[in-house]
Amino acid sequence: MNSKFEGIVLENSEKIVEMWLEEIGTLRKENRTESISIDLYESTNREFVDVIFTSIKSHGSTNAVEEFSEKIINLGWPLSYITDGLQVFRRVTIDFILRQSERVDTEYISNVLSSVDEWVEPIIRILVNDYSGNWEHIVSLQRVALQELSAPLIPVIDGITIMPLVGTVDTDRAKLIMESLLQGVITHNSEVVLIDITGVPVVDTMVAHHLIQAAEAVRLIGAKCILVGIRPEIAQTIVNLGINLTDFPTKSTLKKGFLTALEITNRKVVNVKSSENDIEKLIESIQGE
Amino acid sequence: MPIPILKLHNYLLVSIQTEIDDKTAIKFQENLLDKIYKTGASGVVIDLTSVEIIDSFIAKVLGDVVAMSDLMGAKVVLTGIQPAVAMTLIDLGIHMQNIPTALDLEQGLIKLHQELGE
Repeated sequence: MNSKFEGIVLENSEKIVEMWLEEIGTLRKENRTESISIDLYESTNREFVDVIFTSIKSHGSTNAVEEFSEKIINLGWPLSYITDGLQVFRRVTIDFILRQSERVDTEYISNVLSSVDEWVEPIIRILVNDYSGNWEHIVSLQRVALQELSAPLIPVIDGITIMPLVGTVDTDRAKLIMESLLQGVITHNSEVVLIDITGVPVVDTMVAHHLIQAAEAVRLIGAKCILVGIRPEIAQTIVNLGINLTDFPTKSTLKKGFLTALEITNRKVVNVKSSENDIEKLIESIQGE
Repeated sequence: MPIPILKLHNYLLVSIQTEIDDKTAIKFQENLLDKIYKTGASGVVIDLTSVEIIDSFIAKVLGDVVAMSDLMGAKVVLTGIQPAVAMTLIDLGIHMQNIPTALDLEQGLIKLHQELGE
């Protein structure tokens, strides 16, 4: 039965392809392929339908499909184009086979349906698997990249370390922050750590709780923690939520925090050359002449 | 084995090298207070660099030791608490609010020196 249908389809492949191309053309608006040029769209359609026929001819050999899926994923074609295309192919083929045959009863129809499904399903499976595998790969890469960026630590000068935080802080990240903060204090031998939250969009009770915990832990291992970069709206939320941050010092900007940190480590910033002296010297030299 | 307590000028140095169980901790508390009484030390540094576990009881004993020594006129600084230990303590809700800490023995001595104003 199956080989008979296969014969019909392969013999009339020209007609089926034509019908398929016509149908897929009407779907162009829906599957987000409008931005693709007509030439490329048509050549890809040709290639797609060739791949389907090769797969039918070779009885489930997947090489051609895999090659095609790799290519189309790299080009960034939407998955909906693939699923729509195969859906249309199934409909067109079933339609065509039924129209070719004189005797049509329930058994016959079910035979047609199952054999067409047998052709189409492996292709769908491979393509969808490849697509989702590709997406998962991208997501995992991005997760690693995010993790690398989530808790950076910068030793600015001896004894002072800065941790600039950007983006929302959740429980996982807070744990990472605490670990890297404590480890950093030990490795850099820091007396003072500045946590800069300028880039944290929202500070709610949870985030504040994590920050307080980190600061307490830093105090336990023998360093001081200063929270800097508190924007006006953050200050408002903190007070409105009734969060008690009085136990550890806070500053509005990193600059102020850094100066406080210098004070704690008994240092200060001095100008190497004071400009006032320069002017006085200039006046003196003019008077001397 | 009791925990050794060393005298350096008018400071006492304690380095805890082994895992402490409850008994040793109590024994240590008594020994330290005795030593403070005998030597009249004005400062104590307890170094915890090699300690990997501090449970709530040990934390309480350490807190008590600090308060008791304070009563006897000796300032205590805890030094070298490991990151993992600090995280566990915080997770357990033990904040050791009133205990002065320092990064290592050297910083601890500097801190004592500053606090005692000597």
